Amino acid sequence: MNSEDLIASLSLDIQPVPRHALRRRLGLGLVAGGLVTLAVVGIWLGVRPDLMPAMHGFTFWLKWTYTISLAICATAAASRLARPDGRVGGWLWLMVLPVLGLAVIAGLEMAATPSAGWLAMWLGASWRVCSRNVFLLALPIFVGLLWSYRRLAPTQLALAGATAGMAAGAWGATLYCLHCPETSALFVLTWYTLGMLGAALVGRVLGPRLLRW
Amino acid sequence: MRMRHDDDRLRALMLAGLAGDGTAHAALLRALLTPLRSFFRRRLGGRDDDVEDLVQETLIAVHQRRATYDPARPLGAWVYAIARYKLIDRYRRSGRTTALDDLPELADEFAFDEASDARSDVDRLLDTIPEKQAAVLRATRLEGLSTAEAAERLGIGESDVKVSAHRGLKALAARVKDGWR
Repeated sequence: MNSEDLIASLSLDIQPVPRHALRRRLGLGLVAGGLVTLAVVGIWLGVRPDLMPAMHGFTFWLKWTYTISLAICATAAASRLARPDGRVGGWLWLMVLPVLGLAVIAGLEMAATPSAGWLAMWLGASWRVCSRNVFLLALPIFVGLLWSYRRLAPTQLALAGATAGMAAGAWGATLYCLHCPETSALFVLTWYTLGMLGAALVGRVLGPRLLRW
Repeated sequence: MRMRHDDDRLRALMLAGLAGDGTAHAALLRALLTPLRSFFRRRLGGRDDDVEDLVQETLIAVHQRRATYDPARPLGAWVYAIARYKLIDRYRRSGRTTALDDLPELADEFAFDEASDARSDVDRLLDTIPEKQAAVLRATRLEGLSTAEAAERLGIGESDVKVSAHRGLKALAARVKDGWR
């Protein structure tokens, strides 16, 4: 086909593009994936029975502040990377702050605990499954974001994949908090973060294959 | 100043297209043909089928992915990023990786800038000399290939490359002196 004919056929049936089409698309993928993850938490893992009283406590909000701030940074970065000329700017670097903040709190926690109790604090009761669960809960959200990206135009595929994986991991971890009764900052810093990094790594590997257009 | 003007004009077409105006959308795609052709041509070294393929792929992407254009930013940067991505994707598929390093970083303007005006002047000038000489000059002077690489690409001997480059430059100099414009 010559280029003139191509242009004519592309311009035949032009639908208006809504102003925030890109955000809407990303939001849709995120929410759809999030709903699946939420259902998995509810059906497979079960919401922690003491969720209501826990929500009045400090540690629940500490965990949520950590996971949600990471999720917001990663999502903002992912949305910038959805444009062909998009640059992440400072969003990925900003993620250092919650990690450092939680590390400081973990340090204070350790200082207030006799060293004999450190191991128990670090491993909690669920260290064997925590990272795996965060990782698995990230997958539906990651799939949702991949779906969003299919109509968008990322050009740094590895970075976009890793960022989408990180966003999925952080949102997955946020929903995992509804189940997970662990309370120590050291625990969250280690095992939650590990699960999120696993999701980011998978995104990094799959990005160049799945995001091509 | 010319580029500002062009970017603003094309941006207006883009915005009208985003609002559902098919005529403006077609006008935008048509206006992109020339800058896209010269963008790909000077990187592919005159393989015209490939050039037109990439131009069309880029136009389709501009059309299908127009929701990713941020109206607050210059249109040129957006089109350039898509064209650059399509070129890299082409290199990847054909297993060539070295050329990626030669691609300039994301510029803030696309081919509407002065440099590309100068480039298309060069293109037009090259069209006035014999084809082989022009191809040799594109390969050795514009793309920066070595004599051996250019010889291999064009399927001619190394001495032929040297002679053609020499004659081509002489011919160009004569055209310029003759007041080509």
